[in-house]
Formats: sequence, C-alpha cells, structure tokens
Amino acid sequence: MSVRVNHLKLLVGGVQLRDGVTTVTEVLGKILTRAGLSAIAQEKGYASTIYGAHQFDPMMITEEPAISFGDAAYDILVALEYDSNPDAPEQPNRDTILRHGGGVKPGGMLLYDSSTGVVPTDELEARGVQIFPIPARKIAQGEMKREVVKNTIMLGALLRILRFDDDLAYFGKLMEERFARRGRDLVDLNLTAAQRGRAAVDEICAAKGYKSGVRLEARPAKKAVYISGNECLGFGGIVGGVRFYAGYPITPASSILEFMERYLPKYGGRALQGQNERESIRAAIGASIAGARTMIASSGPGISLKIEEIGVIGVTEQPVIIVDSQRAGPSTGMPTRPEQGDLNLLLGAGHGDIPRIILAPATTEECFTVMLDACEFHDKYQCPIFFMTDLNLSEGKKTVLESVFDQKPKLDRSTLLKEEDIHGKEYRRYEITDSGISPRTLPGTPGAISKTTGTEHDESGFVTIHPVKRTQMMEKRMRKVETYLREDWKKPFQVGDTRGNPVIVGWGNTRPVLEEAREMLVQRGVKAALVHFSYIYPFEKAYVSKLFEDASAVIVVEQNYSGQFADLLQRELLISTRRIVKYNGVPMHPTEVADAVLEAMKREGTIVRIGSTQPIKVEVLRNEHEGD
Amino acid sequence: MSTKGIKLWDENAVPRHQIQWCPGCGDFAVLAGLKQALTELEIMPHELMMCGGIGCSGQIRNYLNGNAFHGTHGGALAYALGVKMTNPELKVITLAGDGDTLAIGVENFVHVCRRDPDMVLLIMNNGVYGLTKGQSSPTGGLGQTFETFSEEKPPMVDPLLLALASEATFVAQSFSGDVKHGTKVLVEAFQHKGFSLVNDFSPCVTYNKFNTYEWFREHVAYVPDDHDVTSVEAAQALVRDFARRGKVPLGVIYKNPRRHEPHNRLPIWTEQLENVDRNVVLASYR
Ligand code: SF4
Repeated sequence: MSVRVNHLKLLVGGVQLRDGVTTVTEVLGKILTRAGLSAIAQEKGYASTIYGAHQFDPMMITEEPAISFGDAAYDILVALEYDSNPDAPEQPNRDTILRHGGGVKPGGMLLYDSSTGVVPTDELEARGVQIFPIPARKIAQGEMKREVVKNTIMLGALLRILRFDDDLAYFGKLMEERFARRGRDLVDLNLTAAQRGRAAVDEICAAKGYKSGVRLEARPAKKAVYISGNECLGFGGIVGGVRFYAGYPITPASSILEFMERYLPKYGGRALQGQNERESIRAAIGASIAGARTMIASSGPGISLKIEEIGVIGVTEQPVIIVDSQRAGPSTGMPTRPEQGDLNLLLGAGHGDIPRIILAPATTEECFTVMLDACEFHDKYQCPIFFMTDLNLSEGKKTVLESVFDQKPKLDRSTLLKEEDIHGKEYRRYEITDSGISPRTLPGTPGAISKTTGTEHDESGFVTIHPVKRTQMMEKRMRKVETYLREDWKKPFQVGDTRGNPVIVGWGNTRPVLEEAREMLVQRGVKAALVHFSYIYPFEKAYVSKLFEDASAVIVVEQNYSGQFADLLQRELLISTRRIVKYNGVPMHPTEVADAVLEAMKREGTIVRIGSTQPIKVEVLRNEHEGD
Repeated sequence: MSTKGIKLWDENAVPRHQIQWCPGCGDFAVLAGLKQALTELEIMPHELMMCGGIGCSGQIRNYLNGNAFHGTHGGALAYALGVKMTNPELKVITLAGDGDTLAIGVENFVHVCRRDPDMVLLIMNNGVYGLTKGQSSPTGGLGQTFETFSEEKPPMVDPLLLALASEATFVAQSFSGDVKHGTKVLVEAFQHKGFSLVNDFSPCVTYNKFNTYEWFREHVAYVPDDHDVTSVEAAQALVRDFARRGKVPLGVIYKNPRRHEPHNRLPIWTEQLENVDRNVVLASYR
C-alpha cells in the first residue's frame, strides 16, 4: 500500500467544553506549524450553548499551503466523547461517529474513546476504515489518576496514527512552554499520557495488522505562526497604528476584544469593553476626535445597534474602522454559524447618504494586509471603514508565514494638521476641497478650534439649512468616493480568462474555496475564470463591467439567501447574474461549488441553492432568453 | 476676573452663530456661568472639548469658544469618555439636557459614573423636551404631588440619587437663577479628579409652566456647611431630607475622589506608531 505523505484531512469532535476538542486541534496546529507543515482549521463547528453541545474542528494538513480547507471528507476521524453527549443522550460515545462517520474516506481511520463501550462500526469497516478504540478516559482515571489527561492520551494516539513526532520532541517542547512554570510534574504527566496513547495504538496495529495509508513528516521549519483571522486583523490594526479599540462581547467578534485587551496596552494603547454596542462605537468616535486611530468590532446584531453612529461618522467625518465578523442572521440567527449576510446592512447602514468603504479580506493573511489599508483609509477618507469577516475566517486558525507580517504600514497622518500647518491661515474644519477630504486639527492644538456636528453644517462646522451650503457639503463628502476609486481601490483578484468563459464571482472569505472549485472545473474541462473582490464597495464600474462584458455567464457565489453581492452587481452594472447561494450555516466546500457552477451554466437566471430542500429555480428575466 | 478673559470665550462662536434660545431661557445663565468658570480656571479654548447633547441645551457648545462635538441623542457622555481616554490633557465637559442624559442616554450616565473619567457633565435640567415642544422628560414633575401614576406617567428620576447609586464621585446641584453660586460649583467640578455631575436647574420659560424661576426661588436651599460631602450615606440622606421638606438642595452634595490607574495620552503621531516590535504578538503564536 502506498503511503500518502503530508496531505490529509482530519476531524476532531466531542462534547463542547467537556472534551477539549479545540485543545487537541490547537496543540496539533501549533506543532505541525513548527514542524514546517501547514494546517488550516477554519470550519469550526460549535454551539452557543456553553456546555454539552456537539463540537467539531476539521483540519487540513499539507506540506505546501493548501488552496482551501477542502471538502468535508476525512482521512482521520477523532471522537473524544467517552459517554453520552447531553445534546444527544441516545448516542453514548458515538455522537461524533454518527454525525461525521459518513465523511470518512475509504481506507481512512477512526479513533474514538471506548471507555464506556465499543461502538459498532461494521459499516465503516466495510469501507476499509481502520478502527482504533482507545479507552482514554479509563486509562486517565485508572492508571494515571488524572482525568484531565484523557485528551493527551487521545492526542498521543493520534500522533502515532499520523506516525509523527515519534520521540514526542515537538509535543514535549510545547508542554514545557505551557506547564514548566507550574511544575515539572505536569509536563511529565502529559508526556506519559501521550506515550500511553501511542502504546495503545501500537497494540491495536499489532493485533489487527493495521498499516496507515497517510503519514506526516517534519520538514525544515519555516518562520510561521498558527493564528486566527481575528488575531491577524487585530495585529494588523496595531501595526497600522490603531491605539484605541472598543467592543462589546459578541460571537464571533469577542476574540478581537480579548486580543486587543491583551496586546494594545503593550503598545501604549487602550482597549475598552463597552457596556453596550452603542457605548463602544461612541467611545471610539470620541477617541477618533482626540486623534487616535480607532477600531471597533462586532457581529450583525451589534452592528445593527450601532447604525445611528455610522451616520454620525459619515457626517462629522470622524473616522472609525468597523469590523463586522459576520454570523448567520437574521436577528440572533445562528450565533456560531458562518454567513455572508450583512452586506446589505453595511451598504445601507444609516439614513441619508454618506461615503463608506467596505473591505472584505479573502484570507487570514489578508486580515492583516487589508487591515493595514483600512488604517490608512481611516485617516485619509474620514468615513466609516467597514471590514467584513465571518465566523470561519475570524475564529478559524491557519498556518501563516511570518513574512506576511513584515509589510510596512504607511502610517500617513498628514490629514491631521499641527499648529505650524495652520499658522497664519484661516482653518475651517470642513473646508470644501476637490478631493472631498478636509484636513483636521485635533482638540488641544493651539490656534485651532474644531466645531464638529452630525447636523448639516457649513465649512466652519456651524449648523446650516442653507440649500447651497448643504449641496456643497453633501457633494464634498461624496467626492471622497471618487478620490478613493481613483487613488486607492484595488482591483479584484482574477484567475483565468473571463472572455468567452463562465466567470465565478465571489467576495470576502470564500476565495480559497472558489479557487479550488475553479481548479476542479478546469480539470473537468470547463475553462471557468474566477473574479474575487476584497475591496468590495465602492468599485470601479467601468473596470468591472469590462471584466464581465464577454463572459459566457456571470455566476455569483455567496453565503446568504438572496445573493446580496449579485444584487449589488446587477444594480451597479445593469447586468444579469446567475447565482449560487448557501445559507444552512455550513461553510461552502469546493466540490459542491464546482457542481453548482455546472448547474448554473445551463441556463440564464439560474439560482442554485446549495443544501436547499427546494428545487433549483430559474428566473426568466427576459423573453429573448427563452430557449437558452 | 478680567473682561479680556471672558471675551476670549466669545471668539469662534457668536455672532457667527446666532443664539437661538427663547428670551429668558435658563440656558443663558448657564452660558454666562460656564464662560466665567472657564475664565477663572484659566483654561484656554483650544484645550477645551465640549460634547453637546441633542436639544436646546446642547446648542450651547456653539455659543462659546472651544472645540465641540455633537452627535446622537443620548451619546454625548460616551463620546466624551473616548476623548478623555485618548487625551487626558484635554478639559472635557458634556453639556446636555435632562432628556438626553436621563432618558435616551441613561445607559451612558450610569456607566460613566462608574468609570469615573476626569471630566464634567453639566445637565441643563428643565423637566421638558424644549426643542420638540414641551414633552415631559424623566425629571418632569419636580415639586408636584400626584395622586396616581401610570405607565405613561411614572414618577420622576432624581439624577443625584441615580448618580450616587452609580458610584459617581462628585455630585452637585445648581440653579441658573444664581449664576455666582453655579459658577463656584462648576469650578469645583472641573477641579475634582474624576467624573463630576452638576445638575443645573435652568428653567424652560416656554414649556415648563410649573418649575419657573419664581418656583425655584421659593424652593431652593443651600447645602449646609456642616454637611459631610465625603459620605455617600450623608449625601443620600440630605437629598431625601430636602425632598421631604419640599426643598431643592444647591451645592456640592458628594465629593470623594477615587484612586485611578494613571494613563498617558495615547500614541498618535507617525513617529510614535512606527517600528513597533512585532515579536510581542508573534511570539505567542509560534
Ligand atoms: S424651549 Fe425652553 S429650553 Fe428651549 S430655548 Fe426655549 S426656553 Fe429654553
């Protein structure tokens, strides 16, 4: 049997907060990153009940970075629950197996805790799946007298199955970093537990003659970190000059607050846990007035509560970066499930018209690099800068090369005027300019007074209802959009020739999956192109129109019910689109997208709903398309 | 007090911006007292940041010199909080009405009392929403006795008691009919290291026909010299005792500064922001 080296996908599942699912994947991701490999764990499944729900964390492991996290098909399934899941009491120690067993590839492996009994696995065995029942909890409670090490036993068993870290060098070093300060005993305990897990697998292999079809081998270490999107965007903010952060606890944006509370003070900044969503954004506006680069973050429900302040930011021209870590809506929705459902909200947030910039990083790396741009736009455009991620990108972790973080920020603060800049001149806070950008002074600057208000105002900031002054001020603000398009908007990412071919269109965090889907299509002989937006709004209409002009079909793929980005493209470009949407709270996977693209190619106006219980719908747009 | 000092506070304001208060409005006296207090304190206009509420009273920010911001209804205190946290060197005052502060903005009122930033809140309290033509506010009904209440017409909120319950460290009350006293209170509020509430009764001559200047003149009484301002119990007892006697206390009712962690002005300028040590973060993720 040939052995596949350094390319596999696994899933670890168990009972939330009890079985330590993410401690297993966290340790694994970290040691694999140190061993020169690449891990992606961005399909987190958990629930908003705290204790007892099913939780799982799939992980793609490769030598060179994988394009995406791949399909829901696993070489290895690890089930950590030892008895009944309170969420599914009828399934003692087999909840993970029943939920994800179908995804185990033929010839794959199942590792589960058999402390409370052996699970019938005939069906899996019939598909050639090798079964490793390990009584981890029993061993932990009995031999080792410490129940907490049950996960370490399972992790040791998993490392053995992966035939990785034979001498537990990577694992041991990590344990030392974590526990050495609390005593050598704790380190040794974990090492013994991991060895015990290895031994248990050895026994089973010997008894059953199992040989693994996959294995991992360490490679020369690259300078890399194992990090989440929220951590990257928070770090991007700090490197980009953000020194004031405010946030109210909300899934999946809370980890940004935690990151900022931990690191901002180390850079002289402050992180404020707001008493509510409004206090967070209002305090950030105050910090912006006093001169700090400011960031806030929330998710859909919290963004909805902040909307009145978004208008204030637009009209007072006191900038704030607003991170929307999306989760499935509407209302409280599914707090722990991903979706790209907030685009319409951000496009329209606030009454009246204000300039706004919406960014949506496509990858964990872009959470850092695009945030550096967001920080510059904050100062330059003095308007709401939206930064959209979603639960998977925010909370999911990935191996990221450290060179990504070497990028130097511009830190251009030239729109802040100092005393010498205004000396001898008449300073007007809202001076009418060609670019629409009016440099400002900070309170505390001798010789300069800023009167600022969310009420319509004249150049000096005094309230006005004068029709001409109003018109001038509205046009001044909105001119910033043109300046942005001319000077800073970045073209969409593109692969493949759009002329004469179907064009897959996406935005935000779906890019890796869409790239992989496109490659699958190319392999199937379909010359599809991909156009993917990270600088999603506003965009240069002429440029994007041209991209789609000769496409055989424009197929917009996104994770929401209505096709919000497709609507935007139709509205701005007056083109018709075909749509692929998914809104069941499960991340998109490459194969289903590739299949859906083939379906969408058949007819103009097709809407493919992945995972839907409804049949595929075709919207007949115009008569002349009948018979297409 | 020099007239030159006072004049400084007229620049960058009126007559560029006409005062649009009804003749006789209590806010005129607040404006005069504020300018006097700032002059006495020798604060310079560029060092002053005013956050104005929505309503008649919030307009005050444009009627005197100094930086000003004006955002949403109920938001003024939270903006002020962010300003002060970022630049502790600024003198920050929030100028808002009773509706703004105690109805739509009560969430900020309660929590800013707890947070205790070194800044002033001056409520121009008249018991009504003047700008929208006289609807009753949470402080409406002062001095009146009602036989019955309803969901539509609940009893009034006393900002002093709410502030004390919310751990405020400086609580005072003034009346725009006594500018001299009001100025003194405001000076003390600015000098207090922490959050200072000054609840100023500034009558709305147009819409509040009950709490008029005459009514206040009959009902105000100064806090006695022997009152212990450092005791929260004494403060609460004083407010309740005055209320029982149908009186409205004027003066400093509670003053008890807390110890704070010191904070510098946040890094703002490019040279303060560049060359950050990325290792501080990356080390934890390796
Ligand atoms: S309506 Fe009342 S509060 Fe408003 S300006 Fe007139 S008197 Fe003053």
